[in-house]
Amino acid sequence: MKNWWFLRGVRKGILTEKTPKDIAEWSTKIEGKGVVNCPTKAIENGKWIAERCIFCRRCYPNYKPNLNYEISIIKGTQKLFKKSFFLYPIDAGSCGGCNMELKLISSPQYDMTRFGIFFTNTPRHADAIIVMGTLTEKMKEVIKEAYNAMPEPKLVVLLGTCAISGGILGEAIPLEAQVLIPGCPPNPYTILDALIKVKGGKK
Amino acid sequence: MKYYKWSDKGEGRKIGKIGNYCLYDKVITEESCEEINISPDVKYYGTFKFVYGPSAGGLLESIKFDITTDGERILNINSIPYKIRKIKVTGLSWEDALLKIERINAPFSISHTIAFLLAIEDAMNIEQDYQTQLKRIALLELERIRNHLFVIARLTETASLSVPTFHLLYLIEETNRLIGKLCGHRYFFGVNYINKVNCNFEKLFKILDIVKEFRLIFEGLLESRIFIDRLQQNGILRDRDSIGPAARAAGLGYDARLELNILPYKEIGFKIVKAEDADAFGRFLVRGYEIIESSKMLIELTDIIKDNTNTKEYKAINDEGEGLARVESPSGDLAYYVKIKEGRVTSAQLLSPSYVNLKSFMKSVKGTIFTDFQFNWESFGIWISEIGVNLE
Repeated sequence: MKNWWFLRGVRKGILTEKTPKDIAEWSTKIEGKGVVNCPTKAIENGKWIAERCIFCRRCYPNYKPNLNYEISIIKGTQKLFKKSFFLYPIDAGSCGGCNMELKLISSPQYDMTRFGIFFTNTPRHADAIIVMGTLTEKMKEVIKEAYNAMPEPKLVVLLGTCAISGGILGEAIPLEAQVLIPGCPPNPYTILDALIKVKGGKK
Repeated sequence: MKYYKWSDKGEGRKIGKIGNYCLYDKVITEESCEEINISPDVKYYGTFKFVYGPSAGGLLESIKFDITTDGERILNINSIPYKIRKIKVTGLSWEDALLKIERINAPFSISHTIAFLLAIEDAMNIEQDYQTQLKRIALLELERIRNHLFVIARLTETASLSVPTFHLLYLIEETNRLIGKLCGHRYFFGVNYINKVNCNFEKLFKILDIVKEFRLIFEGLLESRIFIDRLQQNGILRDRDSIGPAARAAGLGYDARLELNILPYKEIGFKIVKAEDADAFGRFLVRGYEIIESSKMLIELTDIIKDNTNTKEYKAINDEGEGLARVESPSGDLAYYVKIKEGRVTSAQLLSPSYVNLKSFMKSVKGTIFTDFQFNWESFGIWISEIGVNLE
């Protein structure tokens, strides 16, 4: 019976969540007042800049997370991908955190496939390229090649603060992106929310 | 340095290269350690080169493999990590350096942070708080459980066993959520300081639910011939230079938790897990049983971690000195050797487990067939992010 995986799966029931729960607070929007010494200048004139934040807690207790995970920045949507949206992840120089969190949107709790979102193993089948980490020398050419290999129309998603602004460790990815998903690393809910929004889908 | 001493000659178990030095289990020497050697190419009629990576569906991170084959068997292989990050920590205070250290490899963030902090505490001759040390063990074991679940999920995914893969991903997510609840961050960023762990351990016992579910999946996998057949006799490695689960899978009792008294592991009933197979199956077994052992230690810790909100004051006796500390990360020994002056880091050297494991993987993969490659690769639990780091 132990190897009847199908029955084990059925017995486990539906694990996918309709509403978010148990969100780690230091991956959500930050609010507060006052002057703080932010190592990445993510707080300027009392305003929180998500694209620069590495969630290091140096601003605490003046600034606190408010559990709002919808912190992505969508610059343009592509409704053509509404029913099927294939993603090609590429690691430019990450710490592995973004890779893990991106992988976890396929876990049963999130189940990205219910929104028509899938991973693909080649940029030739991809609708969007997801770039993670800071820019590293050898990966410059690889990113360019992967981007050029994608069919039109195509989207660029920058995942994590390192890719968007360089964070605390390096240089940002110099690609014109339609989607910015801040976080260090971004919460899977934030990633999924951004991907649904960019393809014009509904949660 | 209270945990290590300098020596002219290596003694005991060799762990690996740390900066310009060579680290053994109790001493550090100026000897040069063995490097990753680029093997001479194999060339005869019918052989050809096959490139895998640097960016491919089966690889989570960016690494390129040049594989020489005559059809199916891997005759020779070279690896080239593709993401090399220069991370500057010299000239920074330990707090500022810590922001970068914890982002070297997020899945092993606690191992990096704790090894670095222990080295700093050693250099500054700081008296350590016992409760903080217990909390550090709790975080290390949580990280081990999360990582071992992930490695096993990668193995089942490679075997196209979708039900256990998704069950394991479910458990990884539940572990991440538990870590998020305890510490506010799923990868322990901003949690560790000198004599301070910024987590609330009241809900730590919930790890039992996760491990209870894992045991059922593990038992099922141990009876799955189609899974076991892909792992047995694949990537056999019996090497005294190996570390972590790869060494323990070959029956070698190598474990920093056992060898050093830096963290009080012996007081919470730590038992080493070993196997005899020395192949990918052995490494899978070690990881599976270590999840269960780690959960036992965590339950032990729930009883003895008393203070959930402590911030112990510390007094640095030195503001100049050198420190070296090693911890057992999920994939083996991880060490930092640091020098400080006037409270600032003047030098930091890292020994990452993935660097040593990559060497071990390269030794084990020759002679295997290409379809076995992915199982062997995943069984080592290597993270390129910590190999491709130049600490400046």
